[in-house]
Amino acid sequence: MAGINPVPKLYKSIIEDVIEGVRDLFTEEGIEEHVLNDLKQLWETKVLQSKATEDFFGNSIHSPLFTLQFPHTLHPTLQSTASLVIPANRTVPGFTTAELGISNPSASFTFPGYPIYVPAGVTFQTASGHLYKVNVPVMVAQTSGRPSVLQHPVQVFPQLGQPSVIQGSVPLLSPWCLPATPEKAPRMEAVFQQPTVLHSVPVDRKHLDSATSGVFVPPGREHGSLPEALLSQHGNSPCVQGPGVGFHSRGSPVDSHVEPVLSVPARVTPHLRGGPVSACPQGTLLHPVTDAQPHLPRHCRYGGDSANRPGEAAEPSSLPVSKENSNSRVDLTNQLTDDDINEIIQVDGTVDTSSNEEIGNIKDSEENEFLEIIDAGELKVLEEEADSISNEDSTANSSDNEGSQADIVEEDPLNSGDDVSEQDVPDLFDTDNVIVCQYDKIHRNKNKWKFYLKDGVMCFGGRDYVFAKAIGDAEW
Amino acid sequence: MDADSDVALDILITNVVCVFRTRCHLNLRKIALEGANVIYKRDVGKVLMKLRKPRITATIWSSGKIICTGATSEEEAKFGARRLARSLQKLGFQVIFTDFKVVNVLAVCNMPFEIRLPEFTKNNRPHASYEPELHPAVCYRIKSLRATLQIFSTGSITVTGNLLCYCCGQIYPFVFESR
Repeated sequence: MAGINPVPKLYKSIIEDVIEGVRDLFTEEGIEEHVLNDLKQLWETKVLQSKATEDFFGNSIHSPLFTLQFPHTLHPTLQSTASLVIPANRTVPGFTTAELGISNPSASFTFPGYPIYVPAGVTFQTASGHLYKVNVPVMVAQTSGRPSVLQHPVQVFPQLGQPSVIQGSVPLLSPWCLPATPEKAPRMEAVFQQPTVLHSVPVDRKHLDSATSGVFVPPGREHGSLPEALLSQHGNSPCVQGPGVGFHSRGSPVDSHVEPVLSVPARVTPHLRGGPVSACPQGTLLHPVTDAQPHLPRHCRYGGDSANRPGEAAEPSSLPVSKENSNSRVDLTNQLTDDDINEIIQVDGTVDTSSNEEIGNIKDSEENEFLEIIDAGELKVLEEEADSISNEDSTANSSDNEGSQADIVEEDPLNSGDDVSEQDVPDLFDTDNVIVCQYDKIHRNKNKWKFYLKDGVMCFGGRDYVFAKAIGDAEW
Repeated sequence: MDADSDVALDILITNVVCVFRTRCHLNLRKIALEGANVIYKRDVGKVLMKLRKPRITATIWSSGKIICTGATSEEEAKFGARRLARSLQKLGFQVIFTDFKVVNVLAVCNMPFEIRLPEFTKNNRPHASYEPELHPAVCYRIKSLRATLQIFSTGSITVTGNLLCYCCGQIYPFVFESR
């Protein structure tokens, strides 16, 4: 299995540690708590936006290609749900049944900016290779999937400047509510403007669980029957409704949501094991969760009430609750392998040995006895540059030599500047590729260099790579 | 036997060592941090600066003395040394290029014949010293020129010192005898 990118988590943990460490100092100084939280938010935002970690998720965001395999039996279902494919306010369908290819057993398409509805029985494969079999109609959204510190949702919205996103996520929680109420509509738009990565379903479930106290759906319940029940409860809700139970793997639009999401499922996992098995006798492999269903109606109901409250109310309650790994709702059936879905992005190469560097895992060490900054980019440039030698200088200099020979004994003014021209290629240093690390050994033989580095961070191509050991070769 | 034969011989200068002074104290740390292509050897108090164009490695001391090695000709050595001084000047030091002196030139010369070393040594007693157990070559010193030649049995001669051509020319007759 490809390694999960450790860097964002590492950075998150660093941020956590630092913030906790200074919390006391802040209170001593008499600075309010929210200032610290603001700082933390800003920091996280910056890190996430800095491309250092964002790229890790960027790939999947930019080109999430989903390949769908449609069982032919879906035909009738698809027909009826065609209109439901479009979530929210979007009028442009993510894909129509025609496209879906009742005719074609499989289709591939790029993830649109908005969640799409995937009917039951579909198997689809993400660009990163994850295979998901959908047993139950699903809303698939794309989230950043970035782990982030759980923040109180209310605070998160404005600070991240994506208030609408979170709010929009609420409706996302239940497929029914997608187009939702008019109040939600604007938010939904905002949501869909944000590409997000496929997100684990259990998260939603958890949210829903905590949010709703109520509906208990026996795991064994038929998929078909559920939606009916739910539908009946929300006849007036202008949500997207499908015949099948739609759970939706909502990507938390806001980063802050993701981590709790991530962490929760992990914790929830043990509880769920029993559930999924029973719930899906078909023996689904990975993911789709039907559990969310029972809670959806409740959630929808909340959503229908008022614009923000339900969402936010649900969120705060759900998040902290989920974070605490509270309820039960263990009865919920399936479970997704969270991390797989959460971080669809895969960054290979934890043990890749390229000609230049090896990348390993490590946490940054804080004892900086000796820090060395190496320009990784320079190494390559050095190799290339070797041959570009011009002879102009030597001719110019020879004339200079004749003139200055008389002065050899005496001071030899380096009139210099003119004669001894600039070193060509003066600046190989204009690279942004930097490694900050400690060194074990740096060895040179003639013009061949070998680097044995440790405990460092490499910023290469805008992305950050953290390593415990790095070995490099270079020619000067 | 004849100096004429010299013409046919290739003498390749492989290394030129020179020194010069900058007449100013140099802050090695600053050079190490800001200079390009430098190696800081703090334990011995030197900074090595390598140049590409004339392939040159310069050893820089804080006193301002600089030894420059690796050039393939005296001219190139001077050129490189000036370049080096220029780059130091750019770093902000008040560098004056003085006392440039070529200290050593290393050249290789190949005789078209093999040489019998013991015989050669016997003929050139005072100047030649031969310790086969220590080193496979005869070490021939020309005091007047302060040159040292290493004569191998294969016919290749390594000459270090000044005024090399002259050295080569001088040695040829002697070597020729013992071929």
